[in-house]
Amino acid sequence: MEESPTIYEQIRTSGYSRRDFLKFCAWVTAFMGIEASGIGNVVRAMETKHRLPVVWFHFQECTCCSESFLRSSHPIVAEIILDKLSLAYTETLQAAAGYQAEEVLYNTMKKYKGEYLMLVEGSVPTDNDGVYCCIAGKTSLDIVKEAAEGAKAIISWGSCASNGCIQAANPNPTGATPIHKIIKNKPIINVPGCPPIGEVMAGVIVYLLTFDRIPELDGMGRPKAFYSRRIHDTCYRRPNYDAGLFVESFDDESARKGYCLYKMGCKGPVTYNACAVTKWNNGVSYPIKSGHPCIGCSEENFWDNGPFYQHLASFPGFGIETTADDIGLAVGAVTVAGIAAHAVRANIKKRKLINADIEESKKEGGE
Amino acid sequence: MARRIVVDPVTRIEGHLRLEVEVKDGKVVDAYSSGTMVRGFEKILKGRDPRDAWAFTERACGVCTTVHALASVRTVEDALKIKVPPNAELIRNLMFCAQYMQDHVVHFYHLHALDWVDIVSALKADPKQTSAIARSISNYPKTSPKYFSDLQKKLTAFVNSGQLGIFANGYWGHKAYKLPPEVNLIGVAHYLEALEWQKEIVKVHTIFGGKNPHPNYLVGGVPCSININEVNAINDERLSYVGSLLDEAQQFIDQVYIPDLLAIAPYYLKWGGIGGGLKNYLAYGDLPTGSYWDTESFKFPRGAILNRDLSKVHEIDGHDVEQVKEFVTHSWYKYSAGDGGGLHPWSGETEFNYTGPKPPYDQLNVDGKYSWMKTPRWKGNAMEVGPLARMLVAYASGHKEVQELVNSTLKKLNVPVTALFSTLGRTAARALETKLIAGWSKEFYKQLLSNIKNGDTRTFNNKKWDPSSWPKEAKGVGMTEAPRGALAHWIVIKDEKIDNYQLVVPSTWNASPRDNEGKRSAYESALLGTPVADPEKPLEILRTIHSFDPCIACAVH
Amino acid sequence: MEDQKIKRVYVWEIPVRIYHWLNALVVVTLAVTGYLIGNPLAIQSSAEAYLGYWFGTVRFIHFVAAFIFFFNFLFRIYWGFAGNKYADWKNFIPYTKKYIRECYDVLKLDILHIKVKPFISVGHNALAGLTYFLTFLAFLFQSITGFGMYSAMSDSFFPKLFAWVVPFLGGDFAVRQWHHLMMWFFIIFAVVHVYIVFYHDYVERRGVLSSMAGGWKFIEKDKPT
Ligand code: HEM
Ligand code: HEM
Ligand code: NFV
Ligand code: SF4
Ligand code: SF4
Ligand code: F3S
Ligand SMILES: [Mg+2]
Repeated sequence: MEESPTIYEQIRTSGYSRRDFLKFCAWVTAFMGIEASGIGNVVRAMETKHRLPVVWFHFQECTCCSESFLRSSHPIVAEIILDKLSLAYTETLQAAAGYQAEEVLYNTMKKYKGEYLMLVEGSVPTDNDGVYCCIAGKTSLDIVKEAAEGAKAIISWGSCASNGCIQAANPNPTGATPIHKIIKNKPIINVPGCPPIGEVMAGVIVYLLTFDRIPELDGMGRPKAFYSRRIHDTCYRRPNYDAGLFVESFDDESARKGYCLYKMGCKGPVTYNACAVTKWNNGVSYPIKSGHPCIGCSEENFWDNGPFYQHLASFPGFGIETTADDIGLAVGAVTVAGIAAHAVRANIKKRKLINADIEESKKEGGE
Repeated sequence: MARRIVVDPVTRIEGHLRLEVEVKDGKVVDAYSSGTMVRGFEKILKGRDPRDAWAFTERACGVCTTVHALASVRTVEDALKIKVPPNAELIRNLMFCAQYMQDHVVHFYHLHALDWVDIVSALKADPKQTSAIARSISNYPKTSPKYFSDLQKKLTAFVNSGQLGIFANGYWGHKAYKLPPEVNLIGVAHYLEALEWQKEIVKVHTIFGGKNPHPNYLVGGVPCSININEVNAINDERLSYVGSLLDEAQQFIDQVYIPDLLAIAPYYLKWGGIGGGLKNYLAYGDLPTGSYWDTESFKFPRGAILNRDLSKVHEIDGHDVEQVKEFVTHSWYKYSAGDGGGLHPWSGETEFNYTGPKPPYDQLNVDGKYSWMKTPRWKGNAMEVGPLARMLVAYASGHKEVQELVNSTLKKLNVPVTALFSTLGRTAARALETKLIAGWSKEFYKQLLSNIKNGDTRTFNNKKWDPSSWPKEAKGVGMTEAPRGALAHWIVIKDEKIDNYQLVVPSTWNASPRDNEGKRSAYESALLGTPVADPEKPLEILRTIHSFDPCIACAVH
Repeated sequence: MEDQKIKRVYVWEIPVRIYHWLNALVVVTLAVTGYLIGNPLAIQSSAEAYLGYWFGTVRFIHFVAAFIFFFNFLFRIYWGFAGNKYADWKNFIPYTKKYIRECYDVLKLDILHIKVKPFISVGHNALAGLTYFLTFLAFLFQSITGFGMYSAMSDSFFPKLFAWVVPFLGGDFAVRQWHHLMMWFFIIFAVVHVYIVFYHDYVERRGVLSSMAGGWKFIEKDKPT
């Protein structure tokens, strides 16, 4: 990497002043939730770091993670991210196609072996030897293994790469598999969400660049900085939940007052994400604020935790609205009926017994 | 002997597209288009709650996000005979318009522009002259010589860094690039401006649907409630926000997008005669000014044109099982009744059947099956869908506004009507409809305000929300115009669950492999005759293919 | 007159009885509040959110009951080692042939109404013991899933001990689903349990029913205790 300039040099030669650069560092510092005293470290990190080579893969996905990334809104960042990273391979944006595109990929992987950051959008199909996703004639399964080999770290963008998302939903026709189940020997950061929030994506990258380490992760491999809180615990409608004020039907009086969407199936209580705090598209809104319950899009398996408009999942093999309660009630009813039948039989037996006893005592008395 | 050129991956598109092209004497003589990734949405949807389908299908694509959600809620509403309140229709329209404006601008600058704009040549531009050109074509404020020279410095530094990032290995210096350095520099400037801008207009989705990409929809209406006396609902602050986003979007389109198109097109008029392809065009129409059930009220009319005959517009009926059919003769699927026949989507089947070469492979077997896309046909005809089809159907239907805009543009560029049937025509049609939409969105916005003023704030019809109110069996079709063209979903509901769900997507129409009779679809036809100056560098092929704005995740699903 | 045939046995010590009734009370409370948490009432009110807290209160009661439930349960486990032989943990685990045979006999009695032998264990009969063992497992499961969910809502160290549960079961949703479903186990257990207690009281004539209140059972004198 000897000829690549540092981020600082990059920013300076990109026409920004040192003041702009310091402002950017201050912003990064604040964004990362680091105390103001930490700003010196950030400045130093940026002054000495080289532009990080990055390859961004697309497998089984819908490109909405890329789109979301493009929505990241803190102005200078959109450009700096272009300048700060060297995004060598990304099918969505790169100028080269076909052979030329693949050439850039392989050159990068060779030249920066052990140094490049690998970003993955999409899951990898494993059924049928992986023929359900091929690029340049190779399966995504082969590509992901080959590229992971020399990667410094991997970020799994979105629910697809971090938990399989929609194509892994029952019956998972292609054997769609998240990255961490294929690659075991590399640091992997899961950034789930369908898609994840743009600022969250940018935030994860900035964290890596600035501190040159993997952010602190939770039990499911997600950066705590963005996934440590439930939507429900940060939701501005929470007072309505605690007060028992619920929307009973879309656009009813309660909906128009912005009551809690729990009874419309809101998955906020079981979903970890930054939506209610960071919000979407530069803080404009988030699903609940716009009247729709959270569907839990950053949680594993969320497509099969449905139907969406009820609080609990349906049980497979039953009707769409069969919940634990319906099954519980049914079993309960059978139990009560069984007990009733049992009691009747027991009573008949006992009556006989009593009659026998009475007969016996009569006899005894007669003697 | 023709030479086989393979372009895989085709970049600056959505999804995984592979082209195998036969080139002879510097021209394409045959072409094969293949979608190389599949997820199996139609299998996954079986047995689910029809009211959830919008969220699943929306994930077909994050680039044209929302359009599948819209088609899906309409499909279910059609099956269950649900009429949504007028405000819901208007809010859906506004989200539709926002989607078009974002998607088309991003396509033009970030997906298509590098086919025409040579970034490296921009280094040689004279900033003063660039400024003069910019000022002569638009009153966009950012046109000073300093603005352009600063940009040029940045660009120089970037190129000198040796790490070219997304511009690495581009076709810079290719002789098919025709723009003077100054216009190239304007293109680069607006590439960056558009990147900034695109994240603004989508906030219309965020306001009504909670997020973008993948905003929320709802069977029976829209999920957001209107209450002008409440901070927790769509109130006047939210509405004004939408209003100003629409204003800003219109400004950008009028001051940047359209002028750039008109500045670049004259250098590439030759492309008004290349890439025409099919002669049939199909549009389902959309943007109801009344209700979705009243097709007469659509801003984009519905209809089909056959053989480029603009004097007749054919009627389209999604319920007619003889009209739209899908074939899998050359697709990696199998039909229970054999792969030679077509199926109407209500009886559609999705059964994988990979017969391609074992990866890694160099070449597909194009005589057999060679794509994950099915092949849709309308009354047996291969149809082109998309902006060009929409503009042509509107033009042929006698749509005054469209006719005026198209005619005046043709006049400005000094080209005949036939120039429309081309790579350039497609790209121009996309820009023109964006301009129209920017205007229409403001009409919808005004209508929404006036409804609210008159006391109608309803956004949802709950009559058929409860599945117990549904018939035992129901069938529906939901149609819309996605940015890339005619989109429809078909559903069969049985016992409150999805029994069959089929998506027939614009890029499926355009990018599909040959049908049972060997007829080519739009991409394969359009490539015929495309010049290829350097077979090692497929720049011209990209131009024609990009003019369709491919979305393969959509197309295959 | 029957005195010479019947003798009194002190089966349930006070700690077991307190444990039992406290447990019965909190389980009912947990089931009721839990059900409400899963299916809130439709109280349409024009009151502002800050005026009400009923749902928060329901949850609060659930959590308080949960703590009592859990520590009461821990106590019972302790008593399985410290208490008398009827409270001993061995009563609950079918590890001998005899134990299994007795289960079989009780099943015959309960289902076929056939009294195989005149005599069944003095404490729990074997089948009851086994059922309680399953119930204890359910207690454990419910506590683990409950505190697993609770760990996200609390900064206290104790619930945090259960934070691993959530990723282990694949996310909060799955945990909640299981936790909710398990509520029905308790409801059904309680119904069957209470009925069987009455039934055995009725066929065995040993005071099974009152034993959990007073501690004593009455058995035939010639039987060993
Ligand atoms: C017999 C014992 C218990 C029963 C029957 C029971 C039942 C329930 C039920 C039915 C729910 C509602 C689930 C839903 O539909 O969302 C619930 C929620 C919950 N329970 Fe329990 N539970 C029991 C014990 C516990 C214990 C020991 C804890 C430990 C702290 C606990 C903590 C919770 C929590 C945290 C919730 C979620 C409340 C919320 O998010 O508002 N439960 N319980
Ligand atoms: C009217 C209500 C109830 C009555 C009359 C009752 C009575 C009894 C009796 C007599 C026993 C001893 C049974 C034997 O000798 O085999 C017993 C044991 C037990 N009961 Fe109940 N019970 C009641 C409610 C409950 C409830 C609601 C629960 C909670 C789930 C419960 C849980 C247990 C357990 C776990 C044992 C085993 C006790 C031990 O050895 O620790 N009971 N009950
Ligand atoms: N083809 C396609 Fe789409 C669009 N426009 C959808 O229907 O892009 Ni993703
Ligand atoms: S996580 Fe969701 S949004 Fe992202 S690519 Fe997958 S389906 Fe699309
Ligand atoms: S709307 Fe959802 S996240 Fe918000 S308080 Fe209600 S249940 Fe919780
Ligand atoms: S649906 Fe997804 S976007 Fe946020 S509010 Fe819920 S996690
Ligand atoms: Mg389809």
